Amino acid sequence: MKYINNKIKIHLLLVVSIMVILSSCNKAVEQFTELAVVAPTGKALGETIAATPTDNLYYKLIVKAGLEATINNKATTFTMFVPDNNAMKIFINAISGGQVPLAAPDVVFIGFIDTYIPAATAAGIVSYNICGQSLLSANIPATFPNFQYPTILNPAPSVSALLRLTTFPSTRNGAWLNTGPITAVDLLAANGVIHHTAFVTTPPQRFLWDRISTDTALTYLKAAINRADSGTTAPGTLQGALLNIGANLTVFAPTDAAFKALLTGAIYKALLPIVIQQLTAAYIAGGMPPANAAAMAITNAPPIAIGQAKALSAAPTVFSNPALFGALSAQTVKGIVVYHLFGNRAFTNNFPTTTTYYPTLLNGGIPTHPGIGLTATFGVPFVTAATVKGVGNSTASNIIINVSPLIPDPKGTSDQHYLNGVLHKIDQVLLPQ
Amino acid sequence: MKKRTTYLFAFIIANLLSLATLAQSTTITGIIVNQVNNESISAVSITIKGGETGTFSDDRGNFKITVTQKLPITLLVSSVGYGLQEVVIASAAKPVTVKLAPANTLGQDVVVSASRVAQKILESPVSIERISAANIRNAPAANFYDIVTTLKGVDVTTSSLTFKTPTTRGFGGSGNVRFNQLVDGMDNQAPGLNFSVGAIVGLNELDVDNIELLSGASSALYGPGGMNGTMLMTSKNPFKYQGLSFTVKEGIMHTDQSERPASPYHNWALRWAQKVSEKFAFKITTELLQAKDWIGTDMRDYDRSNGKLRAGTRATDPNYDGVNVYGDETTADIRQVLNGVAGQAPFLAPFISTLTTKPINVSRTGYTEQQILNPNTVNFKLGGSFNYKITPGTEAILAAYWGTGNTVYTGASRYSIKDFKMGQYKFELNNKNWMLRAYTTQENAGESYNLGATTQNFNEAWKPSGGSTGWYAQYGQSFLAAKLAGATDFDAHTAARATADVGRPEVGSTEFNDIYNRIRKLPVPKGGALLDRSDLYGVEGNYNLSSVTKSVADIIVGANYKKYVLNSQGTLFADTAGVIGISEIGAFIQASRAITNNLKLTASARYDKNENFKGRFTPRVTAVIKVGENSNIRLSYQTAYRFPSTQMQWINLDLVSYKLIGGNAAFKNIYHFDTNPAYDRDSLKNGKTVQQNFSTLKPEAISSFEAGYKGLIIDSKLLLDIYGYYGQYTDFLARRVVVQSRTGAPIKPSDADAGQIYSVPINSTSKVKTYGFGIGLDYKIVANYALSVNAASDNLTDVPTNFIASFNSPKYKVNATFANTGFGKNKRMGFAVAYRWQDAFYFEGDLANGNLPSVQTVDAQVSYKLPKTKSIIKLGANNLLNQYYYNAVGNSLIGGLYYLSFGYNIY
Repeated sequence: MKYINNKIKIHLLLVVSIMVILSSCNKAVEQFTELAVVAPTGKALGETIAATPTDNLYYKLIVKAGLEATINNKATTFTMFVPDNNAMKIFINAISGGQVPLAAPDVVFIGFIDTYIPAATAAGIVSYNICGQSLLSANIPATFPNFQYPTILNPAPSVSALLRLTTFPSTRNGAWLNTGPITAVDLLAANGVIHHTAFVTTPPQRFLWDRISTDTALTYLKAAINRADSGTTAPGTLQGALLNIGANLTVFAPTDAAFKALLTGAIYKALLPIVIQQLTAAYIAGGMPPANAAAMAITNAPPIAIGQAKALSAAPTVFSNPALFGALSAQTVKGIVVYHLFGNRAFTNNFPTTTTYYPTLLNGGIPTHPGIGLTATFGVPFVTAATVKGVGNSTASNIIINVSPLIPDPKGTSDQHYLNGVLHKIDQVLLPQ
Repeated sequence: MKKRTTYLFAFIIANLLSLATLAQSTTITGIIVNQVNNESISAVSITIKGGETGTFSDDRGNFKITVTQKLPITLLVSSVGYGLQEVVIASAAKPVTVKLAPANTLGQDVVVSASRVAQKILESPVSIERISAANIRNAPAANFYDIVTTLKGVDVTTSSLTFKTPTTRGFGGSGNVRFNQLVDGMDNQAPGLNFSVGAIVGLNELDVDNIELLSGASSALYGPGGMNGTMLMTSKNPFKYQGLSFTVKEGIMHTDQSERPASPYHNWALRWAQKVSEKFAFKITTELLQAKDWIGTDMRDYDRSNGKLRAGTRATDPNYDGVNVYGDETTADIRQVLNGVAGQAPFLAPFISTLTTKPINVSRTGYTEQQILNPNTVNFKLGGSFNYKITPGTEAILAAYWGTGNTVYTGASRYSIKDFKMGQYKFELNNKNWMLRAYTTQENAGESYNLGATTQNFNEAWKPSGGSTGWYAQYGQSFLAAKLAGATDFDAHTAARATADVGRPEVGSTEFNDIYNRIRKLPVPKGGALLDRSDLYGVEGNYNLSSVTKSVADIIVGANYKKYVLNSQGTLFADTAGVIGISEIGAFIQASRAITNNLKLTASARYDKNENFKGRFTPRVTAVIKVGENSNIRLSYQTAYRFPSTQMQWINLDLVSYKLIGGNAAFKNIYHFDTNPAYDRDSLKNGKTVQQNFSTLKPEAISSFEAGYKGLIIDSKLLLDIYGYYGQYTDFLARRVVVQSRTGAPIKPSDADAGQIYSVPINSTSKVKTYGFGIGLDYKIVANYALSVNAASDNLTDVPTNFIASFNSPKYKVNATFANTGFGKNKRMGFAVAYRWQDAFYFEGDLANGNLPSVQTVDAQVSYKLPKTKSIIKLGANNLLNQYYYNAVGNSLIGGLYYLSFGYNIY
C-alpha cells in the first residue's frame, strides 16, 4: 500500500508539473505590426544647398535668414525654389542700385548679404521661396490659371496662423515660379526637393490698391473705381477687394491715356448732336434760313464738341462730374472696371499663345459673357508681347511689357505682383460690349 | 375561465388540506455518524419505510422524527456518499446511533433537470453535468461559479471578477441569450439587460445544494431560450441543511502589480437555517465580496467600421480607437474643416486640395479603462426563505434573493454596472406530484453606465467636437498649419492633437471628476447612464400524473406564463413613449415509459407563444438503452428555439459610429427605412447595392440529434461519459451591418463609410449547422485520489458570409482535475489541481472582434478539515501561475487570485 501511495504521489507530482509547465506557456494576445517609418537618409535641404557651389550665395542668404535649422529638419518636408549664384548676383546688383557689379567677386556679394540685407528681409525672401510638402516638377500643373501654392511666409501671424503668401509655380510655356524661370528641377534632398530659379523671387509687399491709388499713370482707374464704389459700402467695394489680402486678382489697368482716349471719344459722341442742335438754333436766331443753318451747324460743331470733350475728360474728375453722372453712372463704370478684373493671378508668362477667352468678374453679373481674350507672344524665355481683348473693342489692348524682365513694383508695367494680385498696364480700356 | 379557475383553486385546497389522520405519536431521536471515523453527518435523509414522513439530521448529526405508526418500524437512512441503511426501531426510549458506511459515489448522483423527475445521472436521457455541495467543498475555485468552467463542454466568458457567463456548445459572450440560468426555478436573466446574473444575484456558496447543467437544446422542458443549454442552481432546503455556517475568505490579487498595486480580496458568506418545527423552517443567507477588479487593458487599435483589429497606436493612428480606450469612438473626417478653411481662405484652397484626396479620419482623444473605471468591485447578496410544510408532502416556500453591487459587463461597450440591484422573489408550492410557482424579477440598473457613451459625452461636455471653435476645428486648423510648415502627416497630427487637447481635464482633477460624474449620471444619448428598470413576472406549474397513468406511461404536464416589462426611458430600448410589455405563454407534456427492462423512451412536447411572434412547437424524444449494470446508451432528438431577446426586439442604442437597433417593425418608421432604404454595407463596399428587407423576425430554432454513453467500468472506478451531437439551426438569428443615406438621396458607394450605419438583427435563410463531441473520464484511484479528464469540441458551419454569428467557442478544450478529498493523518488533508486548455479561436462580439490565443490555466487548493466543527481551512489559487488571459476581446485580463479561507459548518 505504501508503495502504491508513493507511486501515486510521484504521478501526482508529475501531472501537476506538466499542468504548471503547460500553463506557463500562454501566448500573448495577437499584436499587429505597423509599417516601420523609415527615417530619411542623406543630406537635408540646407546641407544640399550648402554643398552646391553654385548655390553658395543663396545659402548665405539662408544663413542670414536664420532658416538653416528649419530646412535641415528631416522631420519636415519642403519644396525650395533656390536662385543660383547668377540669380543672386542679378538680385544684388539690382537692389544695390548697381553698386555691386555683376562681375564682382563672390566675396563682394557675400559681404553685401552679410552687411546690407537685413535678416528679416532675408527671412522673407527665403521663406517666400519655400513651400510645405514635396512638390516635384511633374506635379506642378500646366493649367491656367496656374497653381497657387502657399509658402511658409506668414505676413501677419497675429491675424491668423493660417495666413500665407502664395507662389504660383507653373509648367505652362516652360517652368516658372511666378514670373521667374525655373532652370533646373527635382534636385532631391532627404527632406524635400529643390528647384533652381533664374531670378530671385521676392515676396510682394503691397496691395493692388496701393499701386493703383499711387500710380500717377493710373489716376483715371482710381477715379473710376471710386465712382464704381459710390453708393456702396465696404467690404463690398472694389477698393475693399483690392485691399483684401485674401483676394486673388489680375488687374488689367488702362493707363490714363487710354481712359482719356475712350472718354474723349465717348463724350464727343454724346456732345456732337447737342452742339449741332445748339448751333442750328443760334444760326436761325441770327436770321439764317433753317436749311442753311443746319448744314452750317453740322460743319462747325465737331471742333467745338471735340474741344468740349477734351476739356471734360482732361482730368480724372470726369468721373465725379455731376453733369456726366447720367452717362457715367456708378453701375456703368463698375461694369467697365470689373471687366478689367480677372479672378485669378495671371502672369503674362502663363498666358495662352493663341487668343483664349476667360471670364472676368463681370461674369459674376453676366454669367454668359464671353470674357476677355488673352494672348502672349514669347521670346526666349520671356514674353515679348501680350494682349488682352475686350469683346467691344475692335482691336486688342496691348499689355505694356516691361522694358526689361522682372522690373518690380512700382516701376514696372507688366506682371506687377502684389499681396493680392498682379497688375498689367494696358493701352486701351476694355469694352465689354 | 372563471369556472376553471375555481376548479383549480378547489383542487389545490384539497391537496393542501389532505391531512394525515392523527393518531398517537412516538418521537424517535438519534444521531448519524460516519462508520469509519465516527464523525457526525448532517443533512442525512431519514424516512420511514413505506410512509411519507421523513426528516434530516441537523448540523450536529442529530435527528428527531415523530411517527404515528406502532413500533417497530424501519427507518431508511441515506446520504450522498454513503450506502443506504435500513434501521429497525423497536423502542424510542433511547436515542439511536446510526453508523453509515462511506460508499463509492461515482455515477451515483441523482439529477432532476434532465427529465423533471429524479433519476440517477447514469440513466439521464440527455447530457447532463452535476456539481454537488461536496464538489464545491473540494474544488480549487474561489467561487462556486468558477467550477462550471471545469465541466465538460463548458465555456465561460469572464467580463470581470464577478461577471462570468457560462455556455455550452458555443455562443460564448457576456450576454449569452442562448443559455438559460435558473435559480431555484426562476429565470435569472436580467429582463432588460439580457444577461444572467447568477454570480452576482443569486445563491451564495454556502447555500448551493447542487448545480445541474444540461448541455444542448432544452426548450422542450424549460421553454424559450436554452438553445445551447440550461443551468439550474438549486439552493439548500432549510429543513435539510440546518444551523449556522459561514466562510471567511481573504485573498490577494494583482500580485505582479502590472495593473495596480497588489490588493486584497474579501469574501464573507453566511448562512443560517433553522428548522423551527416539523412544519416550519427558514434560512437567511448573505454574502459580501469586495476586491479590486481586473480591468480591460487592451490598447490595440480597432477598426470599428470594419470590425477588425489593426496596427496602430494613439501616437501613430490619428483615428485610433483602442479596444479598452473610451471616448475615441468619436471620429470625423477633418476634410470638412479643411474644406471650410479653403472656402474662407481661397489662397489655401489649392494646397488643401492636395491634402483632401482621401478621408482624413480623426478620433477624439480617449481615456483608458484604467483611468475611468473604478475597479472597486462590491457584491452584496441577501437571500432567504420561509418554508412551511402544509402537509408532510406539500411545502410552501416564500423565497427572496436580492443582490447589489458593482461589476463590469461587456456589451457593445464596456459597462460599469454600478449600484446595480436585482431582486428575485417567489412563492412556490411543492408537492412530490406537482409544483406551482409565481415569481418576479425586479431589475434596477442603478447608476450603471456605458463607458464609451459616457466618455464620448464627457469629451463633448469639455469641448464640443463641432462648431467653429470646436475640437475638430482646432485640430483641422492646427493640422493645416503644420502641413503648411512642412510637417509630415505624423507630426501634423501630433501637433494638431496637442493643440485641440489643450486644457483637456487630467484624470483625477476636480474638473475631470465634476464633468465625468455629471455625465455618467445623465441618460444616453446625452450621458452614459442606463435607466433600466425592467421587470419580469412569471407563473408556472407542473403536475406529475404518473400515479394515475402509471400503467400506460409516466406523464408530466406543465404550463407557464411570462411577462417582460421593459423600462429604460429610452436609454436602452425604443421606449421613450412608455414601457414595453412582452408576454409569453407556454405548456408542455412529457410521457415516459420503460418499453423493456433495458429500454426507456421519453417523449416531450412543448408549445410557446410570444405576443410578437407566431407560436412554436418543440418536441423532444429520448431513449435510454441499458447495456449493462450502470452502463447506458442515450439517444435523443431535441428541439429548441428562442424568441429574439428583448434587446434584439427593442434595443435602440446610438453607439456614435453606428446604431444598434432591434428588429421590431416599429423601427421601420422610426428610421424611415420605408422611404430611405438601408443597404447591406459589405455589398456596397464591393459596388453592389443590396437593399435590406426588414422582414418580420422569427424565433431561432435548432433541431439536434445526440447520442451518448455513460457508464461505470473497471470495477466501477471509472466513469466514462461520451457524447456526440449534430444540430441544425433554422432562422438563425444574427446581426448584419447595413447603411442608409444620411440625406435621403439614392445610396452611393461612398455611403458605406459616410452613411448612417446600423447593426440590425436578421434571420438567416441558410441552415447553419453545428456539431461536436465530448468525452469525460472520472477515475477513482485509491486512497481518495481521483482524476478527472474531459475534452470537448464544438463547431459551427455553413455560416453565410457577412453574418456575425458570434459562435465564440474554441474548437477544442480540455480539462483535467487531480484531487484527493482526504489524505494524511485522519485524512484531514485535501487538495485539488485543475488544469484547463482551450484552443485559439476568432471571437466576435459587439465591442470588438479578434483572434483569441489559446489559454491554459491551473487552479489549485490544499485544505485541512477540522471535523469537530465541520470546519475547513483552504489555501487556494485561481490561475495559480498568474498567467493573464482573457476569453473575449475587450474583456478584462484575468490574473491570479490567491486566497485563504476558513469555513465553519461546511457540509
